[in-house]
Amino acid sequence: MVDKISLLKTVSTVLKVVIFICIIGAATSARLFSVIRFESIIHEFDPWFNFRATKYLVANGFHKFLNWFDDRTWYPLGRVTGGTLYPGLMTTSGLVWHILNNYLGLPIDIRNVCVLFAPAFSGLTAIATYYFTKACYHNDEIAGFLSAGFIAIAPGYISRSVAGSYDNEAIAITLLMITFFFWIKAMKTGSIAWGTFAALAYFYMVSAWGGYVFITNIIPLHIFILLLMGRYNHKLYSAYCTWYCIGTLSSMQIPFVGFLPIRSNDHMAALGVFGLLQFFMIGDYIKSKISNDNFKVFLKTSVLLLILFGVFGVVGLTYFGLIAPWTGRFYSLWDTDYAKIHIPIIASVSEHQPTAWPSFFFDTQFLIWLFPCGVFILFSELQDEHVFIIAYSVLCSYFAGVMVRLMLTLTPIICVSAAIALSNVFHGYLRVRNDLSGQGMKLKGFANFFKISTKLIVSSTFLGYLYLFVHHCTWVTSNAYSSPSVVLLSGQTNEDGSPVYIDDFREAYAWLRFNTKEDAKVAAWWDYGYQIGGMADRTTLVDNNTWNNTHIAIVGKAMASPEKKAYEIYKQHDVDYVLVVFGGLLGYSGDDINKFLWMVRISEGIWPEEIHEPNYFTADGQYRVDEAASETMKNSLMYKMCYHDFPSLFGNSQEGNDRVRNAKIKSSHVYDLDYFEEAFTSENWLVRIYKVKDLDPEGRSWKEVSDFEKESSATGGNSRRVVKKPKIEPRLL
Amino acid sequence: MLLYNLITLLCVCLMNDVCKALSVHPLKTLVVFDSRLTSLQDHSEFLQSLENRDHELVFEQVDHEDFDPQFYFLSEDEHSNLYDNMIIFPIKTKRGSSSLTSSKLLKFYENGGDVLAITSPVGVTDPVRLFLNQLSIYPAPKGYILRDYFNASDEKKNTFAIAGSDSLNDYVFNSSSDAELVYSKGSSALLGSSDLLVPILKAPSTSLNKNVNDEEWTIGSQGYLIAAFQNLKNARMTWVGSDKFFANGLYESNNKAFIEELTKWTFREKSVIKVNGAKHYHADKTSYEELPYKTTDEVVYEILLSEFKDNKWIPYEGTDVQFELKMIDPYYRLTMNAEENVGESKKFTTGVFKLPDHHGVFTFQVDYKRPGLTYVESKSTHAIRNLAHTEYPRSWEITNARVYLCSIFAVIGLWLVFVVAFIATSKKVVNKPTAASKKNN
Repeated sequence: MVDKISLLKTVSTVLKVVIFICIIGAATSARLFSVIRFESIIHEFDPWFNFRATKYLVANGFHKFLNWFDDRTWYPLGRVTGGTLYPGLMTTSGLVWHILNNYLGLPIDIRNVCVLFAPAFSGLTAIATYYFTKACYHNDEIAGFLSAGFIAIAPGYISRSVAGSYDNEAIAITLLMITFFFWIKAMKTGSIAWGTFAALAYFYMVSAWGGYVFITNIIPLHIFILLLMGRYNHKLYSAYCTWYCIGTLSSMQIPFVGFLPIRSNDHMAALGVFGLLQFFMIGDYIKSKISNDNFKVFLKTSVLLLILFGVFGVVGLTYFGLIAPWTGRFYSLWDTDYAKIHIPIIASVSEHQPTAWPSFFFDTQFLIWLFPCGVFILFSELQDEHVFIIAYSVLCSYFAGVMVRLMLTLTPIICVSAAIALSNVFHGYLRVRNDLSGQGMKLKGFANFFKISTKLIVSSTFLGYLYLFVHHCTWVTSNAYSSPSVVLLSGQTNEDGSPVYIDDFREAYAWLRFNTKEDAKVAAWWDYGYQIGGMADRTTLVDNNTWNNTHIAIVGKAMASPEKKAYEIYKQHDVDYVLVVFGGLLGYSGDDINKFLWMVRISEGIWPEEIHEPNYFTADGQYRVDEAASETMKNSLMYKMCYHDFPSLFGNSQEGNDRVRNAKIKSSHVYDLDYFEEAFTSENWLVRIYKVKDLDPEGRSWKEVSDFEKESSATGGNSRRVVKKPKIEPRLL
Repeated sequence: MLLYNLITLLCVCLMNDVCKALSVHPLKTLVVFDSRLTSLQDHSEFLQSLENRDHELVFEQVDHEDFDPQFYFLSEDEHSNLYDNMIIFPIKTKRGSSSLTSSKLLKFYENGGDVLAITSPVGVTDPVRLFLNQLSIYPAPKGYILRDYFNASDEKKNTFAIAGSDSLNDYVFNSSSDAELVYSKGSSALLGSSDLLVPILKAPSTSLNKNVNDEEWTIGSQGYLIAAFQNLKNARMTWVGSDKFFANGLYESNNKAFIEELTKWTFREKSVIKVNGAKHYHADKTSYEELPYKTTDEVVYEILLSEFKDNKWIPYEGTDVQFELKMIDPYYRLTMNAEENVGESKKFTTGVFKLPDHHGVFTFQVDYKRPGLTYVESKSTHAIRNLAHTEYPRSWEITNARVYLCSIFAVIGLWLVFVVAFIATSKKVVNKPTAASKKNN
């Protein structure tokens, strides 16, 4: 008997290990589409910065990395990069690289470590989710495994963690689940050790992602709800106080965070709950010492005093500027139109847009409707730890509806809740052995058959759903989330069946790298800042860090201004090259003309008397680029640079077709460029680079130069019979 | 920086020739003239004086029957010049028009050729006029003559004297001289507002420039008799509105000294300066390469300047050389002090100054542009980093922080005392259940 049990235990352990290996395998392999289809390459925008920072870390060591002053971005301001980034991601991958190279003797390129970082960590996420679910729901291993399986392949998470997507989120979700697991353990056991682990995991999370604020608020919220439910106990007290004190102190060691935890309003909830817990503790103690009636009086007065003190405290501190005002990103969480009106720079980021409803299904498929069931099941039991999942679900569902990128934080809890629901279904319907052997309830033939077939139908339906889920996840991952966006697929194939790549970005960045001076300054819209820094290794004016709105507005203003004005701005900032992305020939809709209105809006925010958004529309309020476009639009630098020589590409007709905006571009309304000259245009015209001309040696404006040259080539430079007295400005000397 | 490179390159290239030539560049000079308007005999003394100064004169007579309308003064790709200087006397023929166009003249000038353009009331040809217009000099067209009805010395009222002290630019002609110039049968020009113009002589306030139709071009001192232009590549161009000004009679009697100085200036035989190196370093002499700058560091900036004078480079004596430390706007603008001579140049230094308490990418530059003097510019861009986390003062070094330090250590100490006291005074509890539970495991 003992042998049988131990054998079963061994088998189950082996099975567990095998299942884990399978889940990790599935999680990792699902994320490798991009590497197989393209190559081992860093994706998109932010990862390029992280990659560059990691290279710097590996080359210069941690101390220099921490104090890194980057003079190749945000020219001429520079960026105190070491103090304005979350170093967790870079240090982790730097450590991995170090161990692989120096201890295991595996000479692996840092790029490959970075590319494969996210898939590797998604495996860890699955394991952490397993333990979290298990801790949350009666040690239910089925629910644990299901949630691990779900999180491993749910597209909502894959979207940010495919190979090459070397971003903070890649490591942050893992840390999120680990922190939550430790927190559940801590609040269930009241153990200081678990609380400390939760705090350390929280510290790691703080070092890795700005989204740590989510944890900073969800844990106090959990406690607060429990307090309101009258479930105060010493376990909560010791768990929370341990977590809060150690977590806050350690989080303040990250230079970028600094004193935020005691100043910013985002962190005030945690502080408030910390204080509240102390009062509860004292109240609890006093209650045990005095009579019930006295205690009621004591409670009423102290609560009143507390509320008054709290409200006046927060208002007062905000008023005197001791705690930071609510940040714009915070407002935009509550009012989706806030950012659009007040902070165009936030609204201009596509991942800050509200979520479209279909994307919930797209990202989680059938989990989205199992999710409320899971929450309902938990609600009907409502233990302390269940409250955590419920609070998490409600809060995150709202946030995910407001901002697309927060879909990422919602996905884990969807997986957990859905796994709990599904585990309950399987508990009820998958166990048919008792019914088959007749040892269960004694039912007559037909009823028994009916029962068994019901169970089979339900089970097989859900197994079918699971199959579809896997299918859906694979399809979504392969089709929607595996493009590096640096290299594009044209959709056509070569004669040998291999796909045709559109590699214009790298072509252009390579041109910059090999054909310009090492200290050349490149002005481009901020979206491309990180890529220019990472791939072309040239100094940029603005990048995706967006820390200085005015500086971004300067670049936007130059793009939106007539050439002469733009030339002045660029000369002032020592710009050598201007880079624009133009999708008109290819039909690439994410190009600069489509982003142009954001440039106008952002610069209008700073110079409302110089840039007016309505001027860029036609008289009837349309955003057009063809003949009907407004004069301001046609004269703007962005328009000229994008369509320079474009019509002549189409042969003698002198009429080009913009495939993105479906507009006819005629050479008659694409005005000449005088102050800039075309330096490079990539194969599919996706990236166009212009050189800012030097000053004319004779001090004329380039418009005058070009007029002179046109006239002298037209007349041979000699015949202007009638000489008129020039209109000249008075001389100062 | 580019400019500086160009100059040094130019200087290095021409180092061998310097001992021979009187200018910073060789003196192969093309003289374009029209014998119907100008006879060389009338200007022989002026031309002789140039040859005496080692100018190698090449003549091109545009009205000569052998004249090739395709005569060349630019290389085939137009990126370099076949001559170093050009003197254009008044011309009227259109035969040279296919090669002597305004854009080619401008090209010659931009390639670094120095130009002396002389016009006269009868000889203002379009190419030269359009070329001058590009330099914001607007000479009166053909037919306009400058007259002074009050002070003229002849009947036609177009010959009058001007004091040498009226010279507007000391780098061209020292206004303290008491020479008296005579301007004759000339015209005047309007000047635009370009910063690169170097006005040299104004028309007298009693003068009037008009044509036969009584249309005025300039009135009084609005007009200029002689004006020059120095472009950003430091090539020089001088326009003179009268060819009689150079003619033998007036040359010998009055204008000789002025013309000598004017042509010396035009062909870069004087008032040329160059940078012989600039550097900056920490106050304790460590260089930027050894130790990058951080905010509030103390640094020194030095620049070496020399001037070309009398056929050799000598230390440049100037009192207004300014240094700028700028990031878009200047954070510092310091007038530099002249120190000792270093070889053929003068060392100017800012002395020790403190970098601003602001990190960023700063440009250390001297941008010395004075009308009449070669423009020199020396730029170097360097990052000034923020303080590293170890470079701030430690907490105990800040007196204000000692209050907090005391309270921290007081709490720690008292906590230890409390724990010890608590343990020492509490009753011993035998924890039986723990022992029992251990057994079970």
